[in-house]
Amino acid sequence: MQTLRVETCTFKKIAVLGAGVMGAQIAAHFANAHISVTLFDLPSEGESRNKIVIEALNSLKKMEPSPLVSIKSLNYITPANYDNNLIDLKNCDLIIEAISERMDIKQNLFKKIEPYLSNTCILASNTSGLSITELAKLFEPQLATRFCGIHFFNPPRYMPLVEVIPHANTSTAVLNDLEEFLTSHIGKGVIRAKDTPNFIANRIGVFSLLSTIFHAKKFGLNYETADALTGSFLGRPKSATFRTLDVVGLDTLDHVIKTMETSLKADSWSFLYKTPDDIAHLLNCHHFGQKTGKGFFQKKGKDILVFDFETKSYRTIDVKTDPEVVKILTMKSPSEKFRCLINSSLPQAKFIWCLYRDLFHYCSVNLASIAHSAREVDLALRWGFGWEKGPFEIWQDIGWQEVTLQIHKEIENKFTLSSQPLPDWVYAQTAVHKETGSFSAYSLKFEPASTLSVYKRQLWPEPNLENKNLPGKTIFETEGFRLWTLDDEVCIASFKSKMHAIGKDILNGLLESISIAEKNYKGLILWQPKAPFSAGAHLGEIVKCLESNNEVVLKDMLSKFQKVSMALKQSSVPTIAAIQGLVLGGGCEFMMHCTKTVAHIESYVGLVEAGVGLLPAGGGCKEFVLRASQESKGNNPFPFLQKYFENIAKAKISKSAVEAKEFGFLKPSDTIIFNSNELLHVAHSEINNLYESCYRPFPTAIDIVAGGRDSVATLQTQLVNLKEGQFISEHDFEVTMRIANIFGGGNIDGGTLISENWLLELESKYFLELLALPKTHERIKYMLANGKPLRN
Amino acid sequence: MTKIIQDAYICAATRTPIGKAPKGTFKHTRPDDLLAHVLKGIYESTPSLDLNMIGDVIIGCAMPEAEQGMNVARLALLMAGYPHTVPGITINRFCSSGLQAVAMAADKIRLGEEDLMIAGGTESMSLIPMMGNKVVMNPGIFKEEHLAIAYGMGLTAEKVAQKWKISREEQDKFALFSHKKACNAILEGQFSEEIKPYLVNEYSPGASGSVVTKSLIVNWDEGPRPDSTFEALSKLKAVFSQNGSVTAGNSSQMSDGAAALLLASEKAVQKFNLKPLAKFLGYAVAGVPPEIMGIGPIEAIPKVLKRTGLSLKDIDWIELNEAFAAQALAVMQQLDLDPSIVNPLGGAIALGHPLGATGAIRTATLLHGLKRHKKKYGIVTMCIGSGMGAAAVFENLS
Repeated sequence: MQTLRVETCTFKKIAVLGAGVMGAQIAAHFANAHISVTLFDLPSEGESRNKIVIEALNSLKKMEPSPLVSIKSLNYITPANYDNNLIDLKNCDLIIEAISERMDIKQNLFKKIEPYLSNTCILASNTSGLSITELAKLFEPQLATRFCGIHFFNPPRYMPLVEVIPHANTSTAVLNDLEEFLTSHIGKGVIRAKDTPNFIANRIGVFSLLSTIFHAKKFGLNYETADALTGSFLGRPKSATFRTLDVVGLDTLDHVIKTMETSLKADSWSFLYKTPDDIAHLLNCHHFGQKTGKGFFQKKGKDILVFDFETKSYRTIDVKTDPEVVKILTMKSPSEKFRCLINSSLPQAKFIWCLYRDLFHYCSVNLASIAHSAREVDLALRWGFGWEKGPFEIWQDIGWQEVTLQIHKEIENKFTLSSQPLPDWVYAQTAVHKETGSFSAYSLKFEPASTLSVYKRQLWPEPNLENKNLPGKTIFETEGFRLWTLDDEVCIASFKSKMHAIGKDILNGLLESISIAEKNYKGLILWQPKAPFSAGAHLGEIVKCLESNNEVVLKDMLSKFQKVSMALKQSSVPTIAAIQGLVLGGGCEFMMHCTKTVAHIESYVGLVEAGVGLLPAGGGCKEFVLRASQESKGNNPFPFLQKYFENIAKAKISKSAVEAKEFGFLKPSDTIIFNSNELLHVAHSEINNLYESCYRPFPTAIDIVAGGRDSVATLQTQLVNLKEGQFISEHDFEVTMRIANIFGGGNIDGGTLISENWLLELESKYFLELLALPKTHERIKYMLANGKPLRN
Repeated sequence: MTKIIQDAYICAATRTPIGKAPKGTFKHTRPDDLLAHVLKGIYESTPSLDLNMIGDVIIGCAMPEAEQGMNVARLALLMAGYPHTVPGITINRFCSSGLQAVAMAADKIRLGEEDLMIAGGTESMSLIPMMGNKVVMNPGIFKEEHLAIAYGMGLTAEKVAQKWKISREEQDKFALFSHKKACNAILEGQFSEEIKPYLVNEYSPGASGSVVTKSLIVNWDEGPRPDSTFEALSKLKAVFSQNGSVTAGNSSQMSDGAAALLLASEKAVQKFNLKPLAKFLGYAVAGVPPEIMGIGPIEAIPKVLKRTGLSLKDIDWIELNEAFAAQALAVMQQLDLDPSIVNPLGGAIALGHPLGATGAIRTATLLHGLKRHKKKYGIVTMCIGSGMGAAAVFENLS
C-alpha cells in the first residue's frame, strides 16, 4: 500500500480570533488534534488581561456534548488578547477570524492584525454570511491570495462540514493545503462553496427550515407534530425542524434570515426570507432556544413543554401524526414512498410532498449560482445538517424524470412557492450523480470528484453519490458477515447485522476469517463501512436460547466468544480493529484482543454488560486483569484492578477515543485518527508495519499476579456501601460481586500467579450464573424492547 | 472514682493551623514536619524545662503509614531537637487518637511513673488517604454480624440520622452555625494563643534548572467559610445514600494538622516553674454498634462523668467533634446537651477534622478557651470509626 501522508502539517500553530461560542469551540477542536492554538479576544481591565478567553475556556469544560475529547486538550490552547499578544501571530500558519458578523468590526480587526502576519500564513474568516470578496478587498494583493472563507458548523467537533470559500484571487495551493489539512488532521468534510449569501449548506438548509415552517402553518400542524414528521422519517436528525432551531438559536437563525432578506431581494422565493411571526415573538421575549432555556420548546424537569403561539404560553406536548402517513413514510422503496405521498389526499402526506417539491425546485434553480456541482449541495446537507441524503440524491433515488414532471405540473398549477420554471438542464438529465461525476449546472457537465491526494487515503469514500459500486473483492460472505479484500494482501472482516450486533453468524465468520488470514494474508482488519463498530452481543439470539431453554447453544456461543477473542490475540498474523462510533460489549472485547486498534476520534467504547445483568465473558474482564498485573510491574495490582473494575461495574462508555485510552480500553500504543474515511487506509499501514517487523503474537499469559480474595473483599466493601446507600440495586450487587470475583482471580491468595485461561473459566462460570437469574432475563428483554437499560 | 497517686496538669498546649485537604495550604507539607513544629513549640513556650526529664512522647495518628508511618512520634521529636533520651510512641484509636494520647500521658503521671510527658497528634489527609494507601479488607467481615465494619462513615451517619430522626434541614442549619461560630472566633482572635504559625515552603521548577521557593506563613484555620449560606448547603447532593441527608456540607472536612501538649505532675510543675492551664480529671472510652458509630459520645460522656464524679450540670464547655452534623445532633438530643456550650468556637464541619490529630487540637482549643472565658470544667469528646466513643474532662486552673 502506498504511503499517502498529508504533508501539509506546515500548520504547526494556529490562531483563532474571537473566543465566542464558535471561536472557542473551533480552537478546542484543533486542540483535540494536539495542534497548538492561540485563542484571542479583547483585553480585559485588571490583573488578568485574558479574562474573556480564560472564561470561554472554562465554559468549554461545562458544555454538553463536550467540545473537548479530553480535558487535557485545553493544554494546547494559549489564551491571548489583541493588546499584548499580536506579536505571536508571526508564528501562526493559519489564522481563523471568528468574531461578530459585522463588516466594520471585522475590517477593523483585520487592519489591526495585518502588520503582524507572516508572509506565508493563511488567513480565513469563519463568516456564515458576509461576502468573502468584499472582505478580501481590505488586503494587499499578496495577502489576499492567502485569504478565504472557512465556515465551520456548530458544534464544530461533531458537525463534519467545513465550507471553504475562495474569492477570485485566492491561490489554489492555499485552498488545496487547507482542504487536505482540515480533512485529515481534524477530520472534516470539506466542500468548496461559491461566495454567495449564506454559501451552500445554510442557503439550502435554512430555506428548507423556512419552507417547513411555512407549510406546517398552512397545513395547521403544531410544532411537535411537524417535528415528528420531519425528523428520522425523512432521514434527518431527531431534532427535526423546530427543535433544531432551538439548538441553533433563534437569534442566530434570525441573523441568517436577515442576510438572505437583504442580499437575495431578487430571488423569487424572497417572500419567505422574513423572520416568521412566532419566531419574532419568541425573540422579543428573549427566548432564543436552548441557550436561554426557552424557545419553541422548554425543558421543565423531566417534561418537555411546547410554545403555543395562540395562548403565548407553554403547554404539554401533543403529537398528532397520522398513522396512515407514518405507514407511507416507513415504506422501503423511495420511489414507491413518494408516489404514495404525491397521490395521497391526507394533509400530512401533502405536507411532506410540498416540502420536498419546493426543496427540489429551489435547489435546481439555485444550483448554478451557489455550487460547483450537485455533489457539493448533497454533501453540504449531509455534513452540515445531518441529513442521511442530500436533496439531489433523494430526487435521483425517487426517479429523476418522474419527479421533474410532477414539479413541472405543480409549477404550472401555481402550487409551488415560486412560479419560476425549472431550469432547462433539469429536463435534459436523467440523473445528477453518475460514475463520471456530479452534474454542474454551471458547466452543464458531469464534474468528477476532487483528485487531491488526501482523498486517496479514503479507501472507502463517502458512500453513494457517484460511486455506486463499492470497492473490494469478497472472499466469503454469509447473511451476517463478509470477508473481503482491497489488495489481495490484507483481508477485512465486516459485520452486516443491525448495529453490527454479534451473533452466531459473525462468530463463525470471524473464526474462519482468522484462519484464512493466517494462511493467505498479511493480516486481518475488523472494520465496518459505517458506525457503529458494534453494539455488542446479539441479545435477540440469547433471548431465543433462553426461551427455548437451549443451554447447549448458549454455552457454545459463550465459548465461541472467548475463542474469537483469543484467536484475534494469538493469530500468527496481526489483527487490527478499526473502530468508530459505539464499540460496546463483545465488540469492545474483540477490539481489546486485536494486536492493535485504529480508532476514529469519535469512538464511544465500553463494556456495558452489567446493564443487561451480565458481565463481559469474551475475555473483557480477563484482559483488564492481565493489564492491571502488567501495569503494576510486580507491585500491588489492586489500584489498577480497581480502576478497571469501575469501567465494567459502572458500565462506563468513553465519550471519545482519547477518553477510551484514559479509561484503559485502548492501549497507549493504539492509534487515534480524525477522519473515519481514513480508517481503512491507516489500518492497512499498521498491518504492513507489523508484517514488515515480523510480527509474532505473545504466548498466553500464565504469570498474571492475582489480587486474590482480599482484593475481592476490598471491592466488595465498596459495593456493600453502594448497595446500602441505594446507589445500586440488589441485582446490580449480584452482578458486580461476580465481576469483583473475576477481578480478584477468585477465592485464592493474593499474589498467586494465574493464567488467562483461569480467568476465562471464571468469566464463563459467573456469566452462566447470571444468565440463570430471572432479573437478568428482565434486563435483557427490557433492553431489546426499549434500547436502554433497566435497573431492577 | 479512679485511684491515682498524683494529679496530671497540662502546662502547655499548642497546635498548627488546620489546612484543608487535599488541596489546601498544607497539601505538600509532611505530617512529621507539622508534628516536629508543634513539639518545638512546647519547649519554646517552657524554656525552664529539662527535656531529658520527659518520660515519653505519645502521638496519636489514625493512618500511621507513609509520611506519618514508622513511629512518627519518635522521628518527629528527634527532628524537633529533643535529646535522644526522650522516647516516643505512635498510637491509634482512629479519631480519638489525639485525645487517647493525652489520657495515656496523663495516666503515666497519675500512676506515678513519670513526672513529665508530651502528648499530641498529627495527620495529613492530603498525603495519606482515608483508609491508607493500601486498602485491604478481610473477607471475613461480610458475615452478617460483621457487615457494618464495611460501612463507610457517611453511611453510618445516615443510619444515625434515620434512627434519631435528624432532618436534612437540621443538619444543614447545624453546619451553617458551625461556620458562623468559627468565622466569628477567627475574627475575634480566639485561636491566636493556641496556634503556632507555620511557614510553608513550596518548591517548584524555575528557569534553567533553578528551584523556586514560595514561602507562606499560615496562621489561620482554612476551613471556615464566611460565605456559607443555608441555601447553598441545602443544594448539595447526599453523597453516601441515594435518598440520604448527609452531604459534603454537613460532614466534617478533610484536613491536615498537628497539636502537642505538655503534661506534668505537681512536682514537675514546682521544679520547672510551669504554669498549669488545666488539670486532667479523667477519660473514658466505650463501644457502640459499628453501624451507628456516631453515637459513641452518648456512652462515653456519662461514663467519664461518673468516673470524675461530675454531672453534666457542672460542665461549662463541650468540644464535641462534628464528624457529621447528624451524629452531633443525635448526641446532643440524646444527652440533652445545652447547645450554647457545645462547640462555641465552631466544630469540625467548619474547622476541619485531621483524624488522629483532632483530639489533641480540640483539647488545646478547650483549655485556652476555658482560660480566656474563665470557665471551670470542659469536655472533649468524639465518635470513633468501627463504633466507639471517647470523652475526657479537664478543669481550668489558670
